[in-house]
Amino acid sequence: MISKKFSRALLATAVGALFAVSGVANAADSNKPIKIPIKNWSSQIVMAHVIGGMFESMGNKVEYVPVDNQASFEAVRTGDLTILHEVWQSTMQNAYYNAMEKGGLIDAGTHEAATLEEMGVPNWVIDKGLCPGLPKWEALKDCSAAFATPDSGGKGRWLEGPQSWHGDVMPNRVKGLGLDDKWVVKFAGAADALWAELKSAEKEGRGTIIFNWSPNFTDASGFTFIEFPPYFDGCRIADGGSMETTGCGSPPGWLKKGANYKFPKTHPKAYAAFSKLSFTTPQIGQMAALVDVDGLTHADAGKKWLADNEDAWKPWTVSVLGAGN
Amino acid sequence: MPSESDSSANEQAVIKCESVYKIFGDNAHKVLENSNGKVDAESFKEAGCIVGVNNASFEVREGELLILMGLSGSGKSTLLRCISRLTDPTAGKIYIEGQDLLAMNSKELIEVRRSKMGMVFQSFGLLPHKTVLENIAFPLQVKGQNTKESIRRAVEMAELVGLGGRENYFPRELSGGQQQRVGIARSLAVEPDIWFLDEPFSALDPLIRKEMQDEFIRLRKVLNKTILFVTHDFDEALRLADRIAIMKEGVIEQLDTPANIVLNPATEYVRKFTEEVPREKVLKVSSVMEPVSDSEQFGDLKVSKDAIVETVAEAILSQDKPVAVIGDNNETVGTLHASHVLNMLFGGKSGKGDEGD
Amino acid sequence: MKLDIRNSKPAQFAILLVVFFILCLAIGPGESNYLWRLPPLFKELPTVINDSIQFVMYDWWPIQVYDPDIEDFEEKALFSEITRSISSAFLFVITLIREIFLGGTKTIVAFTGWDFIDKNPWAEWPALPWTVIAGWAIVLGYKLQGKGLALLAALSTGYIGIFGQWEPSMQTLSFVLIAAPVSVAFGLALGIWGYKNHWVEAALNPLLNIAQTMPHYSYLVPVIVLFGVGDQAAAIATIFFATPPMVRLTMLGLKNISPDIVDAGMMNGCNRAQLLFRVQIPTARRDILIGVNQVVMQCLAMTVIASFIGAQGLGSNLMIALNSLKIGSGLEIGLCIVLIAVLLDKLSLAWANKQTDYFADLGFVKRHQYWLICGAILIAGILFAYFGGLIFDEDFNYLYIVPHNKGITTAPFWQAAVDWIWDTFFFMLKDFNEFLIVSILVPMKEAYLAMPVAATFLLVMGTAYILAGIRSALIVCGFLLFIAFSEYWDRALITAYMTTFSVIVASVVGITVGSLCAQNSTASKVVLLLCDFFQTFPSFIYLIPVIMLFGITDTSVIIAAVVYALVPAIRYTVEGLRNVPAVLHDAGSMMGVSRFQRWISIELPLAFPHIMLGVNQTVVFALFMVIIGAFIGTTDLGQLILKAISDPRGTGIGIILGLCVAFIGLAADQILRTWANERKKALGVA
Repeated sequence: MISKKFSRALLATAVGALFAVSGVANAADSNKPIKIPIKNWSSQIVMAHVIGGMFESMGNKVEYVPVDNQASFEAVRTGDLTILHEVWQSTMQNAYYNAMEKGGLIDAGTHEAATLEEMGVPNWVIDKGLCPGLPKWEALKDCSAAFATPDSGGKGRWLEGPQSWHGDVMPNRVKGLGLDDKWVVKFAGAADALWAELKSAEKEGRGTIIFNWSPNFTDASGFTFIEFPPYFDGCRIADGGSMETTGCGSPPGWLKKGANYKFPKTHPKAYAAFSKLSFTTPQIGQMAALVDVDGLTHADAGKKWLADNEDAWKPWTVSVLGAGN
Repeated sequence: MPSESDSSANEQAVIKCESVYKIFGDNAHKVLENSNGKVDAESFKEAGCIVGVNNASFEVREGELLILMGLSGSGKSTLLRCISRLTDPTAGKIYIEGQDLLAMNSKELIEVRRSKMGMVFQSFGLLPHKTVLENIAFPLQVKGQNTKESIRRAVEMAELVGLGGRENYFPRELSGGQQQRVGIARSLAVEPDIWFLDEPFSALDPLIRKEMQDEFIRLRKVLNKTILFVTHDFDEALRLADRIAIMKEGVIEQLDTPANIVLNPATEYVRKFTEEVPREKVLKVSSVMEPVSDSEQFGDLKVSKDAIVETVAEAILSQDKPVAVIGDNNETVGTLHASHVLNMLFGGKSGKGDEGD
Repeated sequence: MKLDIRNSKPAQFAILLVVFFILCLAIGPGESNYLWRLPPLFKELPTVINDSIQFVMYDWWPIQVYDPDIEDFEEKALFSEITRSISSAFLFVITLIREIFLGGTKTIVAFTGWDFIDKNPWAEWPALPWTVIAGWAIVLGYKLQGKGLALLAALSTGYIGIFGQWEPSMQTLSFVLIAAPVSVAFGLALGIWGYKNHWVEAALNPLLNIAQTMPHYSYLVPVIVLFGVGDQAAAIATIFFATPPMVRLTMLGLKNISPDIVDAGMMNGCNRAQLLFRVQIPTARRDILIGVNQVVMQCLAMTVIASFIGAQGLGSNLMIALNSLKIGSGLEIGLCIVLIAVLLDKLSLAWANKQTDYFADLGFVKRHQYWLICGAILIAGILFAYFGGLIFDEDFNYLYIVPHNKGITTAPFWQAAVDWIWDTFFFMLKDFNEFLIVSILVPMKEAYLAMPVAATFLLVMGTAYILAGIRSALIVCGFLLFIAFSEYWDRALITAYMTTFSVIVASVVGITVGSLCAQNSTASKVVLLLCDFFQTFPSFIYLIPVIMLFGITDTSVIIAAVVYALVPAIRYTVEGLRNVPAVLHDAGSMMGVSRFQRWISIELPLAFPHIMLGVNQTVVFALFMVIIGAFIGTTDLGQLILKAISDPRGTGIGIILGLCVAFIGLAADQILRTWANERKKALGVA
């Protein structure tokens, strides 16, 4: 018994010593870099640079780490990433809450921006009159043929994102709305598959209905979201709803922030600023547009946005610094 | 260097084998122990063992060239591998310059190989990634000699075996004969006392083989090594050997000088080899000469006692006087009469070797 | 009659098929019919695995670790602390190399601390101008091989440097420069061990197969927990993936050494180490170098997936570009990856083949000329960069480093090329696509799903028995049972259907193309180079155009899989045919056979075992790509693996799914490999 304890202590010392070599001991208010994830869509990357620039203006060090979206939640939990700054409700809440449950990830507040994540069609589908009556969902009852593909068995194809985003919400909705004899849900594997489908459908002049969100780079070429029956808490089957109610549309989504649980302790000021920080939908749209429309690099877009919008972000840092000093 | 069968036996045996057995098979040791010294291929095969070498005992003296001759599967290469300890014999003793080879640990063995042994292989065994020079220098470098020294020595060796100008070729860029020259040079680089050659010329075509044999004879004269040479080519054995050990199914059937083997085959098996051998091509002058009688009047021609009869026959036949046979120091050791040579050339040819003289 | 069946494989197959179809017709679908589907006995397995992995990662042997950041002790699991210290060692080396290329402060930090950097703002290592590294690469290429390699180095580095890909390329390179040598060393060591010890070899084979076939996505979470997020984790994951071919080829090479060479080495007085390192390994180097080639290729093929867990560089930029459908810049980046792969491969090959000139008796300058030239390049590069800074009034300097996405670019060119292909072939391919889906793929998929489990077992085990014997049949049965008892049998059938189709197409096309190219040595070289290209060219790039041409359909997945799986099919066919001894060609010609007859009756049968190994690899490659196809949109195992990551039991589910995929590959491997080996023995080539 004793020897076991002793050997554990010994091991602990050994491992500790290993660490002393690799990482160097530091004073309290850490000057170690804050690790910000870089994922693969424009607004997220620009926002990473905006927030990074903001931290830097407060005297912190910043490191950008490319990471897969789904994997990032585990990484924040283990402290390999410090923050998550763009957590979309509809597509990421599962991963977000799972990580929180496991421990290590804390809620760092919500952006002001309301996001829209919903099924929709590119504007030219409406212009072409492929489905008269859109954006009302009822129009879908009569136009499924224009959305058929070779493998959809004659039904219209309802192109949802990867199954990891919302599980069975879309198949249930199709059933709940009584559209299942005319429509079939297909899961795309990744966001870029959705964009490729948009392009290919446009070329062919074939109708297409895909899951999409705003703000997004697709906004520029025009995209119309379908108006489904309004969302209310508990309408979905997974939340206790029934087949009658599960046809509800998406809620106006929140856009959350998260952080590793040590962040408030290691970088109290940066954390305070980060938790105060809140972007609006137009601001996020601006960030994405700097890259997608103006063709800047992500880093430059971040700098430009910071320079152009000092009024917006300075208060978050100033109030913190003021309180601190 | 001359070490005929009749030369004195008190020279030190450089290689000595005592009852060496090599049995292949998982339970070789057990089967051999149970056999009470009666080893035969048939009964061992039933026990799941294959007899490689069966009770081989012999000595090789300093400067001697002993040839192990046999057909494939006769155990000749296995015996050589035992003596070089590339494989461990199942039973028996092997001494190299009096040291017990089988008792050596791997460190001692490596030391012996580095200092005393050189070996040439049938398929050359050259390192494909090294040039001629690097291959020759390899055993020296393995010993720890520095690059500059070893390369300098390799250049000498390449020159010695006639590879000058091809030092930086890779083995794949050389002909078979040239590759074997590299193999020979490599085996000699460490100046070994004992030289093993395992069918060195078998992979070469006949013309090159002849050329390489001549080269070998030349080298042997220069170098004076104790040599153990394996071949399946009886002509080659006759041409090169001081003594020949003829092997069959792991057993040494006969071990004697080429002349004695041709003249007196010990077994039916050996006799079959000798049948087609023209004796004048085998026999040296010394084995057919007659003792010198004082009254003898010699002609101008003198022949060496080591000359093969065939090579001097024509000259001897053109003489009307007996021909003097001279030894190493130019002293007269015997005499040859034209009639005697004629008798041997034609009388012997019609009759088979077993008729004897 | 009986005898006949024993000897005639076609007859055996015919009987097998008859029984198979009878079973298919006789067994109807039904929930409780175990001949239709086996019960999910392993349903709880993901949870068990999940819990045990989590236990090892989070709870087993907790130790107190002091965290200076929060000034407190934290309880951490020993296991992950150990893996974390390994990964921090990796990170240090990667960072060091990266900072030599690109500059930075972290190496200095590692020796001093962040406080030191704060107090000493000068303490930053500057980036080398790209011209310096390019110059060094050219000199290295020239020294190792000559003008050809120097030119290749010049073109590659020039392309990367001028078109604004320098920084991400050097980031990628810095992690490849660790992953590749470690994989080579690791693979060599394991290969030697496997060569020396029969048991190790037997144990290694399935492990290597699993490492190669298990989809990366299925163990993403454990890798993150154990090794963190960043280049070090990416390097470690890459090493897992890149080592297996090295191990295999090392064992193969060592086994093929002529015994005479080993004997010669021993007689030359080598001790064990000398024998191994100076005789055996160098002699086996033809195979070992193919192993090195494969390691380099696999490392760069991993760059994109590596970016999922934090590898900086080309891979992550590629994903960003593709996600906003910038295919042109995606291609530009992809080409960089290929160029780095080819250059590294050629340099390592040239280095291994380098010859020493012992006769050169040179003076100091001559002897050290390359070092002197490199020094001169360094100085010149810095001067150029300095003057460049005066000339270029943009916010960057062409002679120092062109930042990513700035300066001139080839993206519009590639974009135009892609658009042209799209415009030209779209409608043509649309009809083909519809035909393929409606008449072949959908019926095939339905047929697979309509197979009763008993019939599937019979078919696969029967095939294994006929081709490879009873032992293989039993092993294959074990693999199938695992999948059948999991919940994922139907998903696995869909994976199997796409893989089968891809393998058939890739094999037929690959063997045909390979055979045609093998007739001519130039064509062989070209096609092998193309193989290298497609092996390293990130498949994610052509996934997008493929989706644009064929939609989010199984066709797209299968086309991507076929393109990728063609690589081994062609490579092994060319190698196999080129290795048929010329004597046999001549013998055939003397017997008066035509060119075609010779191919059918002499070359193909002799090259058959090697080609079968190629087909074996084709299965592995196709399977890999079908799983990646989840990113297009599939309904098979791959999609579930993607989904598992956001599941609380995701680790366990991911691993079970990954094993299902690996076992499909292993089952095919077992049959094909045994079959090939027996053919080899029969032909006397083994």
